[in-house]
Amino acid sequence: MSRLPEPLFSRRNWLLCWIRRIKPWLPGLPWSLALVAFTSVLGYGLVALSQPRPVTITFLVRAVEAQQLQILADAFEAEHPNIRIEIEEGPNAADAVENLYTTSFLLGDSPYDLVYSDVIWIPKFAAAGWLRDLSDRVSESELSQFLDADVAAGRYQGGLYRMPFRSAMGMLYYRVDLLEAVGLDAPKTFAELIEASKIIQEQTDAPWGYVWQGRQYEGLVTNFVEILAGYGGFWVDPNTLEVGLDRPEALQALEFMQSVIRQGITPQGVTNYIEEDSLRVFENGNAAFLRNWPYVWAVANQEGSPVQGKIALKPMVHGPNQEAAACLGGWGFGLTQGTAHPEEAWEVVSFFTSRQGQKQFALEYSYVPSRRDLFIDPDVLKKFPHYEQLLAVAETTVPRPPVGQYAQLSDILQRYLSAAITDQMTAEAAMKAAAGESRRVLGRSAQFSSDPLTLKSAIAP
Amino acid sequence: MTQDYIRRREQRTGWLLAIPAVLMLLVVYAYPILRAFGLSLYTENLSTNLEAVFTGFDNYVRLVLDGRFWNSLWNTAIFTIFSLVVELVLGLGIALTLDQAFRGRGPVRTVAILPWALPTALIALAWRWIFNDQFGVWNDMLINWFHIIREPVNWLGDPQWAMVGVIAADVWKTTSFVAILLLAGLQSIPQDLYEAHAIDGASPWQSFRQITLPLIRPQIVIAMLFRFAQAFGIFDLIQVMTGGGPGGATEMVSLYIYATVMRYLDFGYGAALVVVTFLALIFVVAIATFYLSKLRTATGVEQS
Repeated sequence: MSRLPEPLFSRRNWLLCWIRRIKPWLPGLPWSLALVAFTSVLGYGLVALSQPRPVTITFLVRAVEAQQLQILADAFEAEHPNIRIEIEEGPNAADAVENLYTTSFLLGDSPYDLVYSDVIWIPKFAAAGWLRDLSDRVSESELSQFLDADVAAGRYQGGLYRMPFRSAMGMLYYRVDLLEAVGLDAPKTFAELIEASKIIQEQTDAPWGYVWQGRQYEGLVTNFVEILAGYGGFWVDPNTLEVGLDRPEALQALEFMQSVIRQGITPQGVTNYIEEDSLRVFENGNAAFLRNWPYVWAVANQEGSPVQGKIALKPMVHGPNQEAAACLGGWGFGLTQGTAHPEEAWEVVSFFTSRQGQKQFALEYSYVPSRRDLFIDPDVLKKFPHYEQLLAVAETTVPRPPVGQYAQLSDILQRYLSAAITDQMTAEAAMKAAAGESRRVLGRSAQFSSDPLTLKSAIAP
Repeated sequence: MTQDYIRRREQRTGWLLAIPAVLMLLVVYAYPILRAFGLSLYTENLSTNLEAVFTGFDNYVRLVLDGRFWNSLWNTAIFTIFSLVVELVLGLGIALTLDQAFRGRGPVRTVAILPWALPTALIALAWRWIFNDQFGVWNDMLINWFHIIREPVNWLGDPQWAMVGVIAADVWKTTSFVAILLLAGLQSIPQDLYEAHAIDGASPWQSFRQITLPLIRPQIVIAMLFRFAQAFGIFDLIQVMTGGGPGGATEMVSLYIYATVMRYLDFGYGAALVVVTFLALIFVVAIATFYLSKLRTATGVEQS
């Protein structure tokens, strides 16, 4: 001990003392720091949680329409600061979008709160248990303001799975000038259509009478459904599961399709036409009649179109003593089973399908609304005078069979219709085979259903 | 003894080094294949509420009786065989041309590969309009330039012509791939072989038959193998051009499987279709590989 003891309160000594005193606590220092950090984070978190946090509602839409729907999304967000809408852009082909929805549901944990759905997806999606029943959320009186067929198309097994947004239906466009030139009225029946076409082809420079969609795809089926109903036939009776494809009416319908091609009223190439191709023929002034969807009106009437101002539309032609029929298309919203925010998602659906939402969308993009009174709304009529005629068409819509196996049934029909109109099969053979295969698909599904009545009620609209 | 030991140790190291690759293959290939086979023994579709119900070989019985499947398999075979043969002949012709020295060979070679580089769905859309009966370029050329036909032909709306149409589009797109592969083969042949052969008095045709063809046979087999696998699984081109129509005349197996799984949600049956198609594919590839390995030893490319 040669060193002198240091003064007790020298600076250095004080520091040493302090360090010595806290030394045993040093290993705990990181822990205490972490504790402080944790509590402060928790505090902030609690404060943040007590504030209303925006919920995001996501759905997938074909890219073209995603941009259009954005105006409604913006309007909605302005009114509902606590709900964000994220519209994902999908491919432009409807079936590709359907597949993306399907894949997301199959993999589980779908990112979508809503399904922006085509009419024909609903039975399948509902049967697979991917959608929520909306029956409790909307009253019957509210639903009665929509077009009946649009609402019916959203029903499956007694539940409601889709709120109609915009409607679509097949109709007959015709050239007013050509009919005037030959002194005829717009045709009402199949026979009159054929007659008028022949006269126009003979007496005017229009090379074709009637164009439609005949490629092996869903569009061919929509054409057929209209003609079939126009002859008073049916495809599948949803109540009894009866298949009506081998009945005389179905045969007549198919023979009509064959005969317009054989008689040169329709170009042979129609057997690979989709909407675009047939529109091109009509738009260039090469055909007197066109079966197509509502969008054609705006396209064919735009500036520079050869048929601008020369066209009109009417319900599809039909058989003697029968009613006209339009195949129902269109889009609406369903609530996904997996959504974490059903209430907010329903807010979005209500807003989009409301009178105000549909009106804005119709005025902006000339889509057809699904609410009946919008067809006679003064603002809408001022911009689209043809909507009055359109309502007449809308009242004639027929749905495609609301069964879970619709995709199979449609493919069967597509194949045999296509085979018949390309002369690979006779009409009788094609319809007989289509009916047989359809019955087998419906029968196979019954095989796993313990109670045959469940299946019947399952497909009642 | 020592040699044996060393060999065994080397073997062990070899296996050890191969384990990551083998595991990878098992996870990426073996698992999905076995899973598909397992699934094919169940019925899992909308009528079972997407629950898997064990039904043994029911799906395979249904498959045997399924005319649409056999029809699509037949279409696929026709499409594959015809497009392969035409592509081989044209591709070889193009490769022989590009192998010659001529001015502007570089740019021409680049242009030749272009169709291969374009996205299939886009060129399919273009071909659909080319073959359109009213506005199509092809009908216009045949009528107004070559005067071969008087009335427009309904190319894609007629069952036979539709198959010709999709094969033509596929040939247009993929011939350049075959040509480039064969060109690589041609350029690996030493020139002195031809010189020696010519001195022996061989005609150009003889040297083509006796030197060129045997020496590029491995490239031919490889090109055909690639093309076979692609043509057999052709989807986008057909989907866009005809959608499988008219009347299912151009429906390929891949389209049918896609519809069964994605549109009908019939997973068990879809798996059975996949398994059978897979076996058919494996069978053909096995034959080709066997042939290829025999060729290699015969031509002395790999005589180890």
